[in-house]
Order: sequence, then C-alpha cells, then structure tokens
Amino acid sequence: MILSQNLNLKSIPYKPGGEALDTSQPPMVTNLLGNKSRQNSSVTPKRSTRIRSKPKKYGDMELTPTKRRSLIEYESSEEEDVKRSCPEKPTALFCSDDVDGQDIFKFKSRHTKNDLQNIVKAAVSNSPLMTPSKSRTSRLLSTTEATPRHVTDIIKKRIKREVQSESSESDFSDGSSSDFVPDKSYDESDSSSAPETAEEEEESNEENEKSSSHSPQKVQIVKRKDNRTRPKDSEYVVTPDNYFLMHSSKKITTSDHTLARLKNMNLNDENETIYISKEHEHKIADLVQSYEHLFDRWLYVLSENFNVILYGVGSKRGVLQQFQAKNLNDQPCIVINGFFPSLTIRSILETIVIDLLENSRVPSNIGDTIDLIDSQLLENNVDLFLIVHNIDGDMLRNSKSQAILASLAQLKNVHMIATIDHINAPLLWDCGKLSKLRWTWWDVTTFEPYAQETAQAAGSAARGGGALQLASLAAVHRSLTANARGIYNLIVRHQLHHHKQQNYQGLPFKDLYSKCREQFLVSSDLALRAQLTEFLDHKLVKIKRTYDGGENYIIPIDSSLLQQFLEEQDN
Amino acid sequence: MDKDETVSVSKGVFLFKNGFKKSLKAKHKNKAWVQSRFRRQPWYDCFQQNWNLFEVHIKELHHQTYSTLLNDIVNYIEFHHMNNDLGSIEGVIPTATLITGVNQPDHVSQFNALINIIRENVTPHIAMTNSQDGSTIKLLVENVVWQLIHGQGMLDNSENENFDESMEYKVPKLKKNQCTMKSLYNWYQNACVNSPSKKKKVNTKRPLIIIIPDFESFHCNVLQDFVMIVSSYIAKLPIVLVFGVATSVSALHKSFPYHVSSKLLMKVFHSHSSPVYMNQVLENIFLTHTSPFHLSGKAFELLTDVFLFYDFSVAGLLQSIKYCMMDHYYGDNIKTLCCARQDIDGAVSALSSHDLESVRQLLSFRPYLEKQSCKIKIKLFEDDDFFRETLCKKMQEIHDYLFSFYSCIRLLFVFIKDLPKNILGKSVREIYSKCAVENITSTQVFRECMQLINFQSQYKLVDSIKDALKSVNTSLQITSPIKSLRSTPVKNNQNDMSINTIGESLMKTIRIHLMMFLRQIESANNQTTLLTDGDENVDIKLEAVPGDRYKLKEKLLRATRVERVQSEYEMIRSRFVSYLEEMFAKALQPPHTQTFHEILFFSDVSNVKKQIVGSPRGAIHTALSNPVYYLQCKCCILPSPESVSDTLPDVSLTYKLHRECGKHINLYDWLQAFAAIVNPTEDDQAHQDPIVQSRFSRAVAELQFLGFIKSSKRKTDHVMRLTW
Repeated sequence: MILSQNLNLKSIPYKPGGEALDTSQPPMVTNLLGNKSRQNSSVTPKRSTRIRSKPKKYGDMELTPTKRRSLIEYESSEEEDVKRSCPEKPTALFCSDDVDGQDIFKFKSRHTKNDLQNIVKAAVSNSPLMTPSKSRTSRLLSTTEATPRHVTDIIKKRIKREVQSESSESDFSDGSSSDFVPDKSYDESDSSSAPETAEEEEESNEENEKSSSHSPQKVQIVKRKDNRTRPKDSEYVVTPDNYFLMHSSKKITTSDHTLARLKNMNLNDENETIYISKEHEHKIADLVQSYEHLFDRWLYVLSENFNVILYGVGSKRGVLQQFQAKNLNDQPCIVINGFFPSLTIRSILETIVIDLLENSRVPSNIGDTIDLIDSQLLENNVDLFLIVHNIDGDMLRNSKSQAILASLAQLKNVHMIATIDHINAPLLWDCGKLSKLRWTWWDVTTFEPYAQETAQAAGSAARGGGALQLASLAAVHRSLTANARGIYNLIVRHQLHHHKQQNYQGLPFKDLYSKCREQFLVSSDLALRAQLTEFLDHKLVKIKRTYDGGENYIIPIDSSLLQQFLEEQDN
Repeated sequence: MDKDETVSVSKGVFLFKNGFKKSLKAKHKNKAWVQSRFRRQPWYDCFQQNWNLFEVHIKELHHQTYSTLLNDIVNYIEFHHMNNDLGSIEGVIPTATLITGVNQPDHVSQFNALINIIRENVTPHIAMTNSQDGSTIKLLVENVVWQLIHGQGMLDNSENENFDESMEYKVPKLKKNQCTMKSLYNWYQNACVNSPSKKKKVNTKRPLIIIIPDFESFHCNVLQDFVMIVSSYIAKLPIVLVFGVATSVSALHKSFPYHVSSKLLMKVFHSHSSPVYMNQVLENIFLTHTSPFHLSGKAFELLTDVFLFYDFSVAGLLQSIKYCMMDHYYGDNIKTLCCARQDIDGAVSALSSHDLESVRQLLSFRPYLEKQSCKIKIKLFEDDDFFRETLCKKMQEIHDYLFSFYSCIRLLFVFIKDLPKNILGKSVREIYSKCAVENITSTQVFRECMQLINFQSQYKLVDSIKDALKSVNTSLQITSPIKSLRSTPVKNNQNDMSINTIGESLMKTIRIHLMMFLRQIESANNQTTLLTDGDENVDIKLEAVPGDRYKLKEKLLRATRVERVQSEYEMIRSRFVSYLEEMFAKALQPPHTQTFHEILFFSDVSNVKKQIVGSPRGAIHTALSNPVYYLQCKCCILPSPESVSDTLPDVSLTYKLHRECGKHINLYDWLQAFAAIVNPTEDDQAHQDPIVQSRFSRAVAELQFLGFIKSSKRKTDHVMRLTW
C-alpha cells in the first residue's frame, strides 16, 4: 500500500494505442489526458528506480549478526544466501541459464481481489479476436491510464457513467461480492474517500504496468538462446511482509460464488473432450518425436547401472510406451502405474517374485524378498526392467515404499525408468535413497494431457462440483427397493425443507418413523432400522446423536446437490 | 504394444515376460540388449576398459584410507576377546563406536571393508543389521541371530565355504522366526564350546560381532532393549557391538539412559571427514597424468560443488564422474584416443577415415593448422597417413603437457599451502579448478601468492623447496626409475632454460633448478647474517655518538638506504620467485589452449548438469509460463512472462491465472476468468459452454496433479494454492 501511495504522485507512461481506440470520448478529456501524460513522461524513470530499490528495513535486518549466523547454518539450502555469507561459493551449480528461483517462488505483490480480473482484461484487450462491441473493457483501460489527482475526478465520473450504462447488459452485474466484478469498487469510489481511491489507483497502476509492458522499450529481454526468449521481470522486491500479510488472516477474501451458479454444472465424463489446438497438436507430435533419439542413450545409461527419471509437464506414458515397444521387447518388463489409486508395494513385489520368478510365496521380510529377487535374477542371468509411471503417485509416497523401490533399483539386474510430475516429488528421496536410486534426470516435457493419470484420481477439485457424488448417489438410489427409496426421499425432503436453518441437526428417528408409517413405507421400527443400516453402510446418511441420546439422520451432501437429485428423480 | 494393455481399474502392475522363462536358464546370453547395441563399438570398449581401471584404483584407495582405522577397530575387538576370560565387570558389553559422518551412502563400502577385515583376522561370526530390518526388537534379534548362525553365507557367500559347510552339518537350518538369543546360545555351545574335536580347536571362543551401521535411524527403545538383552547374555556369549554413528557421540548418550549406557564399555573411533576423503580420491585418481580421462575446469567445479553443497557423498561424486565419462565417450569413436598413453598408437591406426575427418573438425585443431605452411595444411587434409602421424605426435605432446601440468600444480600447491589466507585454496583440487579455467599466472591471486613467497623467511623457503623437490621426484618416479640426484647443474642461470617446455624433461630441469636454488639459499645463510651484523655495528657506532636532530635525520636516511640494499638471500629469493613465475607460466597453460584437448578433457558441462542435478520444478515452471520454449509454436509468443493469450495450452493458461490469486481460489471466478479469455464473445455467465467448462476442469485437475493446488474444505468450491 505504501508503494501504491508513492505511485500516486507519479504518472504512468502514456500509451498511444489507448487514444486511438477511444474515439468516442469527448475531445477535451482526451486532450487533457494526453497533455498530462506527455508532461509527466519525463518523470517515469524515477518511478522505476524507486520500485527497484530495496526496502530499507529488509537490508538492515539482513545484516544483524543473528541473521548472519542462521544464514551460515542453512547455507546449502538457500542459494542466494550462500552467495552472500559463505566463504566458498558454488561456482558451477548455478548459471544464468537456470530458471530464476524468484520467478517460481517469488512473493508477488500482495494479491488483491482484482488481480484475476485485471489479467483477464489485459488478455482480452490484447486479443485479436475481440469484436468492436466488446471494447468496453479496453475503453475502461484506456480511460484510467493517467492518474494525477485532478484528472481522476473526471475519469471517475466517466467510469461511473459508463459502468452504470453498461451494468444493465453487463455480465458482471449480478455478483455483489464477486472478485470478478469491478463495478462495486468503482461505484464506491464515487464517494472518493481516500483509501478507496488509493486502491483504485493501485489497480489502475497495475493495469498500466500490464499494458505498458507490451510496449517494446519496457520489456527487458535478457538473453536470447536458440529462439527462446525469456524476458526477466526486473521489478522484483523481496518483501517478506507480503508472505505474512497473505497468511496472517484466516479469513478467505475471495467471493462467495460457487459452481452451483452454473446451469450445466454436471458434466458427463463422456463429453469431456481434450482440447488442443491444431498447431499445438502438430508441435507436440514433433516434441514427442524428438525424444525418440534419447532412447539409445537411456539404454546406455541403464546398462551402466544408472536409472532414468523423466520430468516435465505432460503425460510421459506415451514416450515410455514407445521406449518399451522399441527397445525392451526382448526383456522382461514390469509396468507400474504409480497413479493407480489402490496400488500397493506388496503387489509389485508379488508380481516380481511370484509371476515372474515363479516362486510360490513372497517372504514376509522385505530384506529377504530383495535378496531373493537379486539372487534369482543373477542365477537366471536376466535383466528386469521396471517402468514406473509416476513414482510420485499417491500410493508410493510413503517412505517405506520408496525405500523398497530404491533397494530394488539398486540391484545390479534391475533397471528402473520412472516419471515424476508433482512439483515436490524430489522431496521423496533423502540422501541415502538417492544414492541407491542413482537417477539421471531427463527433461521430457510433452504437454500431452494426463488422461489416464487424472482419470483415476479420486476427488478432483474441479470435477463439476460433486458430479461424482451425485452420480454415485443416483446409482445407489436406483438399486434400492421402492419402499427404501421412499424413506430416503423423505429424509431428503426434510433436509431440503430445513436447509436454511443454520445448524440443522438432522431428522430424528421418531419423526422419521411416524412419517414412514403415514405413507405405509414400513410397518415396524425394526424394519426401518434395517433400512437405515443399509443407508449407513452405503454412507447415504449419517447419524448424529443428540444430547438426550436420540438419533438424528442427516445426509452429508450439499443441499444444492440434493435439490438437483430430487429434480432428476422427478423427471 | 497396445495402449490399453497397461490401463486397468483393478490392477496397477503389469508384467511383460517377453519370452522369459525361469526354466530355460541354460543359455547364458550376456546382456543381449546391451551387446547388440554397444558392444561392437570401439568407444564403448574403450570406456569400459578405462572405467574398470578407475574402479580398481578406487578400490585400492579405499583399502588404503580405511586400513588404519579398521585395524584399530580390529585390534580393539581382539583385545577384548583375549581379555574376556579375565572376568571383567559383570554384564558389560565391549562396544566400538565409529563416528562416520553424515555422508551415509559412503558408509556401505566402509562397513563392508570392516566386515572383510574382521572375517579375515578375528571371527567368521558377524551380523550387520540396517534399521530397515530392525524396526522391532523381535525382528532385530531374529535378524542378528540368523546372520550369526548362518554366518558368512549371508554377507557374501563366496568366501570360506568350508567353514560354512562344517557348521551347517551340525546345526539343522533354523527358520527365521525360531531365531532367538536362546537358540543362539545353544548353537554357540554346540558349535564352538562343546566340540573340541580336530580343527574346531582353533575355532573355539570366537567372538560374535554385531554391527549396527546406522545408529540414528533405529528407534532408541529397540536399541535399548537390545542392549539389555545382550548384556544378560554377555557372560555366556562373547559379543562385541559396533555402532556406526553419523553425527556425534552425544547421539549415543541421548538415546541411552544411564541403566543402558552403563552396560556398554565404549571406545570411540573417528573416520576421516568426507571432504578429506574426496580430496584424496580426486588427487590420487583423477588429477594425475596417468588418468586417461580428465575433467575440464567447469565440469570439475560442478561436481565438487554438488559434493560440497548437496550431498557430501564420495560415492555420489564417483557416480557423477562416471556419468561424465559415459557422456564423454558416448557414440564418438575419436574418443578411443582418450586412453592410456601407450595405447595411443594403436588407437590412432584403428581410426577410420571418417573418424579422422571428425578429428579434423575439432575446434582446437584450427589454431594449430593456421600455424602450418600451406603445403602441410593440404597434406594434413588430404593424406590420412600423414594426419595420423601428426595426430600421434600431438597426442603424445598433450600427454607430455598433462604430465608437467599436473606436476606443476602439485609443485605450486607445495609452495602456497603454507601461505597466509589460502588465497588459492587449501587443496590440490582447488588449485586445479583454478588452473584449468584460465591461465593462472596472469591472475591477481597468483601474483599475490608470489609476493607472499617473496616475504618468506629463509628457513621456511628451504623447507618448501625441499618439499617441492620431493613432489617433483615422486612425479618423476612414476614414469622412470630415479637417477642419482647428484648431477650438478650445467647451466647456472635460469634465463637460459632449456627448450623443453613440457613433459618429463621440463620436470627434470625444474628439479635441477630447484636443487640449485636450494643450495644457493642454504649457503646464502651466513652471508646475510654477516651483512646484518655489519649493519648493526654501524648502528651501534652511530648511536654511541650523541647527536642533534640533523644527525638523527641523516642516520634514519642512511638506514633506509641501507635497507634497500638487498641481502644476498633476498636477492636469491627474488630471483627464485621470478623463476617460479616464469616456470609456472610455461607449465600451467590451461588445458583448452592445447591442440586436441577435446579428446582428453570433458567439457560439455551444461548438458551433463541437467542429467546429474536435474531441475524438475524449473522445467515445469518454464513449460507452463512460457510454452513456446518447448513447443516452438508461432501462436504463443508472449510479450511478457505474465501475459496470457487464448492460444496458450489450457494448463498453462489456468496456471497463469492461478498465479494471480491469493491463498484461496474461487473455482467459479477462476472459471469465469478462463472463459473470458478463451471465449471472449460468450456473455452469459451461468450458461457456460460445456466444452469450455470441461476444458477448464481438465486443466484444473492437471494442475492439482502437478501439485499446485489442492481442494479445500474451508469454503465450497474453493481450492487452496500450494505455492505463493
């Protein structure tokens, strides 16, 4: 916030493109804007230097002896600190080619509600697809560019006018608390109370940075290497405060929108198409093709008792299947799907010991099993290839199974080719395991969709907000008897009837029983209990015990989903 | 192979036997999959041969470095074994604690060496149990007892088979779950005490050694119980414990309370710290002229950095070097020249004309070529035989160069190791990494070092010259049996040094010069003291006369003038230093100035670094924030790393949008943002295009799979960001 207040006094570089778009504006305003920004354009360099300068506090803190000491202690973990404090520096480990750590882990300037929206705006305004009727967002952009005090008033009025005129047809109009809706802040800024203007200006500044970064002189292209341009962002300031700002409040500052607002919230898995543009499809094919020349190398590496690990975005199954088909068709291979949700390390050992080596049973002790595999492979003089898709898969994430895999990979006659996808996957292995695994790392970025990998993963975040729940509920419901269905519907209706209640305790057994009697669904409470037990077993309902020992039945599903469920039933 | 073969909802492991049958083990095809591809290649053979050579050297070195320490331990064990009968304190177990250091991966070889030594010298009954086999006291005891009874077969079944058999005849094989301390006692009574027949006499009363190599990884309760159990048997069974402790002795004290630690009679042994060990390995094996394969400065730095800053593991370092070597040889027949010196001629003649062509393409060949006359140039290109000859000559030259280069590095090390501040480093490897990158004699640090030598006292200088002579002699000794050192120098001035600028002859001249300087400096001793004596006499005389200010001034003036006159020692010293400078300037040319250095020196660091270190996270970030880097497509070129466009792959687009959010992300808003970019013409928020929506949900699922987000229970339809 301090930063933004400073910025208020400075102007923003003038963007010529904005004016051209903006033909409908009254000439006076445009002139004013133009003059102002032209005047102030000489000030801009100052602004940039200001941003880059380190906050004083941070620098001071760093020099205190305690901090120093702690730095030295952790010298190996923090690259930057190593450079500052430790007498012997790693010279070859880090080079300018590396992806900047700050780029990945950087503390962004404080996330505001409008970040998401701003970036969308920037993208939409740059998009060539944009139709003239859609230019309102860009008009919004162009008008808020200059921010000297006395101009803001004019702009604000105009914004307000525009927003009001548009709000009738605007798609953002209905969300009162959405972070996707700019209208609110603009409306409020009408009152022009100080903090709010600041906020607004901050936003417009950000916007400007975004848009101005498109002008060629602003982008600083640091290096050019075989057609790969990686412009570096220079305005990086370490402000640890931001971390704490972000994590200090327990409150979630996002909007209250839920996916329930969507009409077609339940997508079938069948119509889930994988969309890749034509050009990308072509390029991805090229990319995957280019990895084939690595196959011989992998064999060479494997033959020297190293193991191969592949990383990078995109499914690497295809590449590995190619590899297996081309090079390993005369050797015993075992393919392990690490992403398979009920994979056990035991099943892997069983496959090797029983299915491949034709023993009758697997020794109970892990060490013995490994020894057995080792000796029998040596005896038969055969090399076993383990292809592990996602060695970082859910079921293999515990240290025990990694230890077993490591000791398998260590064997002279076992060769392992594995893939990882999770960003924290390398944390799986400690020094001891790494020395057994003897990885060689290969960047195999394919951009291919993770079709199989995510298909079996349970409880994906975005899966239509409970489509799975709904589907399974319907499935179980269908298999019930007519009476049982009636009982369940009773509970559902009751719950929906009371869903506005803050702490709904569930339907008491007594009430349920009497209701069921009314509708001739059950004849005795024993029969009802039998039905309820079945519901409980399928987790269709839950029991909540009250203080007086009574039983309340509640359905652990969102009321909106239940509503939908009922609607589907009625159809 | 069919794609669907490895997809199943009920199975996660799939076996492809590919014709493997356990019963048909008769045909001993030796790694057909490797052989068919690489075996016939000359470079592969050359690599194998050289690496095997290294491995032999490494083994020898291991043996040397461990031997003193291990012998100490063995002596300790033997001592206790001998004194065991003398009725020591009740229930106390003799224990050797070996402080190993945190470089866990290296310990395996150390403990294996220990086992071998103990087996040879003391007893065949050894058990070594890792923490993974001893998670409970039952498992631990079973494991230990089983190993002790079934003895040497467990650890390596090649040796002492006659011992093994004789035991097994007497004792029926126990099942593992029958192994208890009691059964161990019974077995010991049977096998060792109660069978005084024939050869068993020698075998009686052998101690039982239990090695626990990774003390810290055990649960301390398990170990406490184990110690207590063993101590109750110590009167009947001569057990000796060996603990391998990675951190410090205090770890032992912490995990054992008094009643347990009082049962242990401990002696602590320290092993070398791993950097020392690494220096040894590097200096004795890789930084010598006999090694066929050399690392360029950058590669060397990378590997030592990985060691010093990541893992401290010498085993890991050796693996990295091996990988570099594999990469060096891979698919390149001209690397067959990268072999021992005596094999060069054969290797050169084995090269095909195609290979020779690629040798001609080497960058370092160009400067050499430019120096030649036109006729020779043409000949070099047209006449393969002539080129072969030149190649041979040049390779011999580069080996000569290597010899003097490494010898001079050691020489330089001798001179600067005692200098204050260690400007050039404390070990040969540090000096090497500096010398290999640039011409060290032109650097500031080198000049400073020479200046410091110029201040050294006579006594010290004599010492370091003597050391230097020793190092020269040892390096010469490697190539030729030493001749008498008494050959007097013919030339007495360093200025007319012989034409030999590299190789053995250079070292010989250096030796001669060093000896000459040594003699001169030693003899300069008396004269300098005489000179200073004279000065003092003058001073005393002057002081005797009571003078005025003017005289004092004059005296001081004279004193400065006197000091400027160098003593003889100082003169020789400065001459010596300038000789050193000149000599090092000649011998310590960096390797990349040599013709055909590419053949012997591995320098493709950037390539290897990716494979050795790997940067999965960087790759993911680059791919998502700038897909053009990998895809090379025309549609996604972005003006700045933050900007987005609708042509980006869906994952990349969602990734970028999610980076704009705070700790929590509202899925609905995220979806709207996504839709607004992908499909800006769509207006109705509630009726999202199902295709857009499914694209979005797929992308989100993939981001979750990659570990950037996870679903959150705190608010409906929210996900949590796992990065900032």
